[in-house]
Amino acid sequence: MKTLQFHYHMEIAFSEPVHSHIYTLKCLPQTGGTQRIEKCVYKISPDGTVQEGTDSFGNRMLYGTVEEEHSLFLVDVTGTAVTDVQGPVMPQNIPDLSVYRYRTPLTQPGKRTRELLGHCRKRTADMPLRDKALVYMEAVHGSIRYGRGVTDINTTAEDALALGSGVCQDYSHILLALCREDRIPSRYVVGMMTGEGESHAWVEIYDGARWHGFDPTNNIPVEDAHIKISHGRDYRDCSINRGVFTGQAAQRQSILVEVTENGGTSA
Amino acid sequence: MQNMELTKRAETVNELLARYGVKFGIYKNNEFKEQLFPFDTIPRIIKKDEFAYLEKGLKQRVMALNCFIRDIYGEKKIIRDKVVPEEFVYISSGYLAPCDGVVPPKGIYTHIAGIDLVQGRNDAWYVLEDNLRVPSGASYPMIAREICRRSSPATFETYHVEDNRVYAKLLRRTMDYVNTGGHTVILTPGRYNAAYFEHSYFAEKTGAHLATGSELMVEDDYLYFIDYSGRREKVGAVYRRISDEYLDPMTFNEESVIGIPHIYDVYRKGHVALLNAPGNGVADDKGIYYFVPKMVRYYLGEEPILQNAPTYLPYYEEDMRYVLEHFDDLVLKDVAEAGGYGVVFADRMTAQQKEDFIALLKREPRRFIAQEVIDFKDIDIVENASRVPRKADLRAFVLMADEPIVWKSGLTRFSRDPDSFIVNSSQGGGFKDTWVLSQ
Repeated sequence: MKTLQFHYHMEIAFSEPVHSHIYTLKCLPQTGGTQRIEKCVYKISPDGTVQEGTDSFGNRMLYGTVEEEHSLFLVDVTGTAVTDVQGPVMPQNIPDLSVYRYRTPLTQPGKRTRELLGHCRKRTADMPLRDKALVYMEAVHGSIRYGRGVTDINTTAEDALALGSGVCQDYSHILLALCREDRIPSRYVVGMMTGEGESHAWVEIYDGARWHGFDPTNNIPVEDAHIKISHGRDYRDCSINRGVFTGQAAQRQSILVEVTENGGTSA
Repeated sequence: MQNMELTKRAETVNELLARYGVKFGIYKNNEFKEQLFPFDTIPRIIKKDEFAYLEKGLKQRVMALNCFIRDIYGEKKIIRDKVVPEEFVYISSGYLAPCDGVVPPKGIYTHIAGIDLVQGRNDAWYVLEDNLRVPSGASYPMIAREICRRSSPATFETYHVEDNRVYAKLLRRTMDYVNTGGHTVILTPGRYNAAYFEHSYFAEKTGAHLATGSELMVEDDYLYFIDYSGRREKVGAVYRRISDEYLDPMTFNEESVIGIPHIYDVYRKGHVALLNAPGNGVADDKGIYYFVPKMVRYYLGEEPILQNAPTYLPYYEEDMRYVLEHFDDLVLKDVAEAGGYGVVFADRMTAQQKEDFIALLKREPRRFIAQEVIDFKDIDIVENASRVPRKADLRAFVLMADEPIVWKSGLTRFSRDPDSFIVNSSQGGGFKDTWVLSQ
């Protein structure tokens, strides 16, 4: 168990003022699984009128419209999370898993995915699910190199394998594609990790009793260093920010995530 | 036949239909072309008793489909009870995960259903397809009837035909029943849509506002219509004629510019009704079609009144075996395609095509269904002043409010090509009026 302070900051700078900016944000971590959110404060600026809602995956949403002209849009979320809490944190509903067992367009397998899966299966026959997941994770970790700018938000698992390079989103999609070929319930997770950087993504696998996190980018199981924000079938269900606006502007998005241990010093 | 009078007026009627803009837009080679939807004056006539039978069967079928959709996005009992394999649901392109757990106003998912039927030479009717997303076509027999009545009033004095203009009232009632408080809007993608004529015609006949996405907006969790003076009016029901994917860029396809951002969020909160309900395409998937008779038994505890065309699912080993053994007698349909695309008749394939197709079928059995080729009962049309038989189907419309109501008419589409079974308007077919006799 660990107590972590988190700070998520996103800014969109527009080259020209825009208006009628309509947004949906999935940026609020919730208590559930092995994490407990003790404090969470958000600020959206300019915010227009903000509504709250919950999507079909159980993620909290903030949405609204900024009518007035603006050149900067920012979202700031801070709070305290307790991670790696043992025992059920929330009353356990029987989860509806089926939707997480089947491929989506981004996790559609191809030749390379099947090859990778073939290698994995040879080594995991008769293994318990969690050990199997560790092998799959390791295989995914070794299947591509970490590199930015090679893939984008529409890159599928199979494409990333072909390109041989990608970011946390691609590692996660490949792991999901493998699990789903085996009909293992698995979901995409967006969240934050200790240290400074951007938002992160990993995978959760259901073992018949509860969800377990696996981080194929770092090749580590999720324990106390990850704070989850949202989950879904793939990246598209979990975008932290979706928006449309009126105006001929180029936009530049920057994200800064900072997670520090309570009482620890932050640089 | 006695309605020679009407047949003589064919040219006049078609001219009037053209003048009223009864057109069908199609995309060919990436180019948008508007073409007339050829009308044949000889109506399909359905006797009172026969229609009463169809009516009973159609109501039953649509009730079961509605139960199925509610179940899939709710409790999922039919999956747990292993009546429908879950993979057919979750891989179907019509299944939309964002609809899970969302209950539409009054629990209705299939407000306007278009069920395609054919009649065999043995007179038996078979359901070929359930169109639940945005089925179009009711406007064509409506306006054709209107014009025929005007061109040949005597015909309608001789025959006792159910007045099909009642569709406007039925549609209005269906929209009002689920309205959550506010105006009623027909949402169109715009004039380049294949069915734009129909959208504007329904708006005119029902008194609803015809709007494009840019004339609607969400504010403070409600939907508003912005009229020509810039005034905002609250909307309580939207008969949307755009597909699920384009409805709301904030939940579905992010690239959509014809939708309304956040309309799905206010719908989720019960602040507006959407007809038909998003996600209902899970039940009109060609793979799911196979299971509809099972749904009738499962949800209603009744024997299905209407039969499916004999269908095989290569997904099941036993069916695969049958399909391979009787390959030449079957028609194969790609479950992901619509509008008459992706339909192949095995006996028309070359040896090479057959070999390739069977390989594909073995690789992706879930992707196809196979059906016996039904020996359609032909219907006469007039071509070059003589009567010639053609294949035709019937799209029956079922509107669901407090109970399902079957419109006493329907769209009869025919193939102009004597060798073709495909009647879809997007493939150049024509249409007829459908007369349901009142005595």
